[in-house]
Amino acid sequence: MRRLLHALGLLAVFLFAVFPFYWMVSSSFKTQNDILASPPVWLFQPTLDNYRQVFADEKVTRAVLSSLIVAVCSTGLSLILATPAAYALARFEFRGKADLWFWFISNRFISPIVLALPIYIIARNLGLLDTHLVLILIYVTFILPIVVWIVTDFFRSIPRELEEAARLEGASQFAIFWRIYLPLGMPGIAVSAIFGFIFSWNELLYALVLTRRDVQTAPVVATSFMSGYEIPWGKIMATGTVIVLPVTVFALLVSRHMVRGLTMGATK
Amino acid sequence: MSYLRLQGVEKRFGSVEVIKGVDIEAEKGEFVVFVGPSGCGKSTLLRMVAGLEAVSAGSVFIDGVDVTYLEPAKRQVSMVFQSYALFPHMSVRDNIAFGLKMNKVPKPEIDRQVAEAARILQMEALLDRRPRELSGGQRQRVAIGRAIVRHPKLFLFDEPLSNLDAELRTQMRAEIARLHTSLGVTMVYVTHDQVEAMTLADRIVVLRAGRIEQIGAPQELYDKPANTFVAGFIGSPKMNFVKVSATGEGLTHPSFIAPVRVSGAPPSGDVLLGLRPEHLLFEDGPVRIGLTADIVENLGGATLIYGQTASGETLSLQTPGRRVLKKGEPFTAGFDPRKAYLFTPEGQAI
Repeated sequence: MRRLLHALGLLAVFLFAVFPFYWMVSSSFKTQNDILASPPVWLFQPTLDNYRQVFADEKVTRAVLSSLIVAVCSTGLSLILATPAAYALARFEFRGKADLWFWFISNRFISPIVLALPIYIIARNLGLLDTHLVLILIYVTFILPIVVWIVTDFFRSIPRELEEAARLEGASQFAIFWRIYLPLGMPGIAVSAIFGFIFSWNELLYALVLTRRDVQTAPVVATSFMSGYEIPWGKIMATGTVIVLPVTVFALLVSRHMVRGLTMGATK
Repeated sequence: MSYLRLQGVEKRFGSVEVIKGVDIEAEKGEFVVFVGPSGCGKSTLLRMVAGLEAVSAGSVFIDGVDVTYLEPAKRQVSMVFQSYALFPHMSVRDNIAFGLKMNKVPKPEIDRQVAEAARILQMEALLDRRPRELSGGQRQRVAIGRAIVRHPKLFLFDEPLSNLDAELRTQMRAEIARLHTSLGVTMVYVTHDQVEAMTLADRIVVLRAGRIEQIGAPQELYDKPANTFVAGFIGSPKMNFVKVSATGEGLTHPSFIAPVRVSGAPPSGDVLLGLRPEHLLFEDGPVRIGLTADIVENLGGATLIYGQTASGETLSLQTPGRRVLKKGEPFTAGFDPRKAYLFTPEGQAI
């Protein structure tokens, strides 16, 4: 009985989490009539019309490409900058270290909307509006602290003796970082990369404020369909599915690193 | 000049003095063991030789070179850590080759060296495994392999056997001894286990609270301990200490009088008599002490008996063979005064 209730509870949570996702994906294969039917139709003749429209719409493909460029670059740049910082924070003693560490996360205290206007003005004065670069730079300021926080923690959990052994063996500081800390910190780096990528991919506010026509990202384009007399639900859902797909694939690819206990067997 | 020399070495962590002026010399090819209770600073001392810990004062010389301020990598030392410190993401082969790779040794030479080390340590079959797929003893062997391929001037061992079970520990201890003879290298070995110290060392350095209590060959420390600390630390089971007074008749105690002439006893006449459990004889010996049995431990080949004197002191004696005694049963323990140790009440050997 207890197990049955347990299973029912789990099922409820599962449905609650997955149903919107299911609705989006299934609607993307429906005609407008099927989508708007009341009561909803569960069995329908699937159609690829929505996808044909989406891929025929140059705006969408361009937006997906823009999103990809921005997300990959901002995540990559954050990792390049944050992992050495995390190594320093995890293993070196220097003045102001605790403050610096706190400063990284305190950047996230402020509500993004508060900074939207100042950043818009700065970007306009620098001539960066409607470029990939401005979004990449802004997203780095969001992603970098998260990477620093997660990865610093991971690096701290790597036994110090490994570094000492490597030092005795003649490894340079950089070699220790590159050959010991990076591979062993992979689970943490992967987790923070997923966070960073998903954040960039889904971010709407700054993308809306800082871009116009040339580099609209996928979420911006998806919302832009919600205007006019008739809302093309099928196309929006298909666009949504196309947007979600890369992140899902990416998460599946790196999940191997997240669950693997790489440090096992290092020390006793 | 000696091969390894520590001169007035001190270490402070903030205001805490961990090593208080230590002088040690070791010859080439010697096996030196630092031994002492936990917190005595023996590991810190080893890490200062390795260069992993900065020296607060004094100097360290290896092979005539002052290495006090030299990078660990430039000291040409190898270290085996208590936790082995193997790189978990690398195969055994890559673990062993790591140092050679870092020092830009050509690939064919690395392969040759790794094969050689694997042969010496009999782990050719393990080269492609990861550390987590190995047993404790095998990991230990990989750590030693990583140390020997670089042909260091000095091998450092930081309690390498303390993570192994008793049987494996004995086996690896013999293996390290064998390695020392076959390679003929200088080794410095840290342990808190006096049996390891006694069996492996050419010379033992006994440390307590950051100071050297005594340096000497194992037998020398056993025969002529400088003080009660060394006397109690070296030898198992621990030495018994009994308060006696030096009088005209010899050493007197409420339970016995030992005809020993003491020169150098303090004016008060108070003397500590040290008796090793293995030197106390069951119902035998020239000087007898009346005891009542307390705990009797049968060790198989020998019996360890704890007995109490009339004045309430506990003495332990180890006697060959099986002895059956009931708690409270009286018996006598005898000793040869020539095998007794004498100390001042402050613990210094007389």
